[in-house]
Amino acid sequence: MKEIIINEWVGYFINKLFVFLGVFFIFFLSLVTFLGIIQNDKIQNEQKLAHEHIRAQWDGMEASNPHSAAHYGTYAFKPISVLNSIDEGISSVTGNVLRLEGHRQNDIVFSEASQSLIISKFGKLNPSLIFQFIIPLLLIFFSFNTYISERQTGRLKLMLVQGASLRKIIFSKVLSIWFIGLLLLLLTLFIQIIFNSDNINSDVIIRLSVLFLSYAFYYFILINITILLSVIFKSSTAALSLTVLTWVFWTIFFPTIMGNTTEKLSPLPTRIEFKEAMSEDRSKGIDGHNPRGERRDALEKATLERYNVDKLEDLPINFSGIVMQEDEEYGNMVWDKHFGNLYIQLEKQKNNYQLSGFINPFAALQNLSMGSAGSDMYHHLDFLNKSESYRRVFIKTLNDEYAFGGSKTGERGWKASNEFFRSVKDFNYELPTFLSFYTKYLIDIIILLFWVFFTSILVYFFTRKITV
Amino acid sequence: MIKLQNISKSFKNEKALDNLSLSVNSGEIYGLLGANGAGKSTTLNLLLGFLDSDSGSIEITNSKDQQAIARDKIGYIPENVNLYPYLSGIENLDYFCKISGLSFNSQKLKDLLNECGLEDGSHNKKTSEYSKGMRQKVGIAIALAKNANIYLLDEPASGLDPMASNELSVILKKLSSQGATILMASHDLFRVRETCDKIGILKQGCLIKEMLSKDVTSNELEEVYLNFMQS
Repeated sequence: MKEIIINEWVGYFINKLFVFLGVFFIFFLSLVTFLGIIQNDKIQNEQKLAHEHIRAQWDGMEASNPHSAAHYGTYAFKPISVLNSIDEGISSVTGNVLRLEGHRQNDIVFSEASQSLIISKFGKLNPSLIFQFIIPLLLIFFSFNTYISERQTGRLKLMLVQGASLRKIIFSKVLSIWFIGLLLLLLTLFIQIIFNSDNINSDVIIRLSVLFLSYAFYYFILINITILLSVIFKSSTAALSLTVLTWVFWTIFFPTIMGNTTEKLSPLPTRIEFKEAMSEDRSKGIDGHNPRGERRDALEKATLERYNVDKLEDLPINFSGIVMQEDEEYGNMVWDKHFGNLYIQLEKQKNNYQLSGFINPFAALQNLSMGSAGSDMYHHLDFLNKSESYRRVFIKTLNDEYAFGGSKTGERGWKASNEFFRSVKDFNYELPTFLSFYTKYLIDIIILLFWVFFTSILVYFFTRKITV
Repeated sequence: MIKLQNISKSFKNEKALDNLSLSVNSGEIYGLLGANGAGKSTTLNLLLGFLDSDSGSIEITNSKDQQAIARDKIGYIPENVNLYPYLSGIENLDYFCKISGLSFNSQKLKDLLNECGLEDGSHNKKTSEYSKGMRQKVGIAIALAKNANIYLLDEPASGLDPMASNELSVILKKLSSQGATILMASHDLFRVRETCDKIGILKQGCLIKEMLSKDVTSNELEEVYLNFMQS
């Protein structure tokens, strides 16, 4: 097997077209990876500066009413993962800045796609695009004729007569082409490690390993299928046509079909429907700026009893702050209800899409690629959840200061000091480790392993005996 | 020794071999003549284990397991020995030996090529520069390297110039004198008459005539062949 693999590689390196394509790919891939890293750094720096600026504004806030500060709000910045430069997943469309303020949960803004027509239409050129679309095509072109040419020239017979088994020859050819894919993958990872040496930690290493293995498995599957088809159909044209057709189906048609199907199976409400439902539920609650209604009355009664006084003016605290926090907590319940349902639907969609990997391994590859790069839906939802948790603590801190910080009911002009605002903790989101998320990707890993096993079994089965 | 008994083989409904029986003894060169589609290549493919017969039996050096024997003892030289063009003759030989699990030093590889008539100066040239005859010599060296005692040749003289063709005859005779069993399928009546000890004529999968080379001249062979083909 070793001899066959070495001989294949000698053949590749003597082939001028291969060398040209190889040099072109290595250069192109290195360039794209390098530019991706630079762009990632640029976004990270811009985000850091914006974050520092926002925090500086907050820290420099003059003595103000805490509830006014809650309306003034702050921003949560979704940091770009180190491996975003390899696969930016849904990052470019989801955005990376979330405004946090009292009474409302905002949508994330400042997506790259919203600011660039080219990105919104074609996506960004990054290594994952090359890994998922261009390298597979290259591997298909190397694979489709490798068996047929041996057969047509008669060398296959010669090798078989020499004692090599067809199975051994085929697997050697699969491995020799697979190693080309691995080499290109390793190159990208190497560039990532070299230029990102400051950011490399154990989690990034794990993520890079998962990314590498995912693509490695996918390439193995694709090469297995291409060579298998050439063994079955004994025609390079048929093998090439069928493999390219499979590739097109996997990468273009199937994801769209499955995307639409999962949306039908687990439909999401429209933006208008969703906002109306939220608004309706919210309106049933008490409103800090319009403190009337049953809830407010019940809260007032309970507060007066707690402090053993008869009138709001006699309270040692500011009742308005309590009302506002109560409204906030009701609003949180409404958000939890609606966004909880939305998250469940999104997870269902994602799960259904993941299961589609059993008929389309590309789906599993995409999930693992985005997941390991930290740019998929799961990572995005994690950011939204943690931002919302922070927002609640942030607003409660401000409302509590308003209620219990020294003002009394009716003191609308009361102001908290600058020291207080400076003491409010900032939000610094940290990307979850891959190991804390790995269960979400087990199905994708199982699917890719299934395909590796399945296609290998097919190759094994179809290479039992050669027919001439 | 090669022995085929009552071998029949059909492809779909087309009969390629019909009750074929022939035997080639050790030290004998057997020439199988026939038109295109007569069943010569099918016979070789059956012996190589690339095809299974529908009926009949095949014995190779007293064994009925032709595939196992093919690995060890059969040398196969196709009409066109297509080697790896980017490797030299000696590198090709080394590669095919290694596939057989054999590893020789460069002197031994050179000796093998020399034994097959390939001159020293050609050993390190890329085989893309080789003539058909030179590639055939490497093909024979590959078989020789694994110590084959059965040689199956498919149209070996096709496309060779007279000199190369004669050299091939010399090599094959030398191998047979060392005890090798050689079965050669060919169109070339003259070369078969010159090289082989026994000649068989195949027509539509049937062995219609067998004769000893020494009993016929080239002209007589041609006459016999044409008569059978036209009948």
